[in-house]
Amino acid sequence: MVHRKISVAASLLIAAILTIFIIWTFFPIYWMFSTSIKFALEVFNISPELFPKNPTLEHYYALDKGSIKVSVFLKNSIITGLGTVILAMFLALFAGYALSRFRFRMKKFISLGILTTQMFPLVVLLIPLYLLYKRLNLLNSYIGLILSFTSFTLPFSIWMLKGFIDSIPIELEESAIIDGCSKLQILFHIVTPLIVPGLVATMVFAFLDAWNNLLFPLMLVTRPSMKTLPPGMVLAFAGEFKHNWGGMMATSVIVSLPVVVVFVTMQKYLVQGLTAGAVKG
Amino acid sequence: MKKIMDSPDSKSEFKLGRKLKTGARAVVTLTSFLGPALSVMGIVILYPIVEGARLSLFSYKLTRPSDVGFSWFDNYNYMISDAVFWEAMQNTFVFTGCVVGISCLVGLIMALLLQRPLIIFKFLRGIVLIPWVIPGIVIGYLFLYMFDFEIGIINNMLVQSGLIRKALPWLADRELAMVAIIIAHVWNQTPFFLLMFTAGLMSIPEEALEAAYLEGSSSWQEFRYVVFAYLKKIMVIATLLMVIRNFNNFPVIYAMTGGGPSFSTTTAVIYIYRVAFERFDIGYASAIGTIWVLILLTLSIIYTRFLKDEF
Repeated sequence: MVHRKISVAASLLIAAILTIFIIWTFFPIYWMFSTSIKFALEVFNISPELFPKNPTLEHYYALDKGSIKVSVFLKNSIITGLGTVILAMFLALFAGYALSRFRFRMKKFISLGILTTQMFPLVVLLIPLYLLYKRLNLLNSYIGLILSFTSFTLPFSIWMLKGFIDSIPIELEESAIIDGCSKLQILFHIVTPLIVPGLVATMVFAFLDAWNNLLFPLMLVTRPSMKTLPPGMVLAFAGEFKHNWGGMMATSVIVSLPVVVVFVTMQKYLVQGLTAGAVKG
Repeated sequence: MKKIMDSPDSKSEFKLGRKLKTGARAVVTLTSFLGPALSVMGIVILYPIVEGARLSLFSYKLTRPSDVGFSWFDNYNYMISDAVFWEAMQNTFVFTGCVVGISCLVGLIMALLLQRPLIIFKFLRGIVLIPWVIPGIVIGYLFLYMFDFEIGIINNMLVQSGLIRKALPWLADRELAMVAIIIAHVWNQTPFFLLMFTAGLMSIPEEALEAAYLEGSSSWQEFRYVVFAYLKKIMVIATLLMVIRNFNNFPVIYAMTGGGPSFSTTTAVIYIYRVAFERFDIGYASAIGTIWVLILLTLSIIYTRFLKDEF
């Protein structure tokens, strides 16, 4: 790339802008973390300290105590997240393979239709879904939550796996057909081993999708012991606990941590996925 | 197979049989591969949308369960005269316009500034994306805390630096509350645009920039006629995607203001939620929801049109 010479004044200006941008980006995250390790008294100081004086883990220990246990929400989030990963991966693997390799009528319509469904507002689905779940006895159940999470992560998973399968040379499968392999054998013995990175990325996305979802578990789960972390936060920090900032920030750290860790370690795939669709990945 | 090949008659029979068999089998295979995914999406997404459209024609309030009845387009008529509905529409457009506009501009500037091939910049480009992956509910509570009237760090910093004399009631004031939720979303979404533009900048062939440089174009001309030409498409796609996303945005506003004070930060989806779960007016909420689905459907059709050349 060509790089023009820039004056000292211009580079100072750029450095200043970058510094402001970095502070703007990271300060809120730092503030969340530092509040979570401050003593309650320190949190309520009218002129807050930038650095915690005596770091403490009391807010983290408290998450496992009291009438509303955040640890229960954590358990529910992990269970429904893993369930979503398994279900979404299987469904998306089959559907992605079909959309990539089979030729059939309406293929384009179905492909674009799948893409469109992820643009619909969750709120609109809630009322009919609530009534349906009530009839089917799926309210307050892991299965119900996993089904709803899966449906919203599927469009993206299918498109992503379709993209990965598209990139495998079809000759490999053709020779397998000649050898007499069935479609199922081809999918599991030839295609799947070649798209392991894509599968892992898809699974991570599915997990994070379920992990972040607020609306479905907010409305489809009424029993506190079945709530996942996001609606659990709403429950735990309402009313008299509204100003339990320390506890709120400690929970925020726990909710964000897996997402950030995954993001930092799997950045390459994640960025590929985020830009998939808008920029050819 | 060799045996069949021996007799010409059975050979043609075999061919026909095989064709029929593969036809039927292909349908079975296709259904069993695509069916499960489509049925899950059908139950959780498609059915509720169709059912919502049906419910929108009913007078259906959870507070008066005995009073449910078909009411034609009453809910839609009410919508037209409902001032709060129009306020929510206006809020949605102001909110989305500001968030997408500011995030896009800042993202573009930062992508341009960070494009030099320094290792530290490469590292920074990676980690400045973190706000984008923080869950919505956390962003909501984090900014609720930072914008707090009494102990919020934002009031504290503004007062200490002398920019304002007295603490501002950020989330209790109609205009300031909108500003606060816009700030929270800009923080969250700028990294997305930064990511998109960085990917776009990397796709510009060096020859194009070199040619512009050798022809003696100014930095601005180079940006306007070379860089911008390459970024235009990504900008359109990213902007459309974020408009759709913000039209659907729920958790951050829900946690920060719940749509208040009064209805000043109530966007379309927050209004649907409030009508359904605060007023328990299922019919009316379904009517707004149906209109909103139609608007989003139009947007996503435009969006997939733009994407089409990509696939």
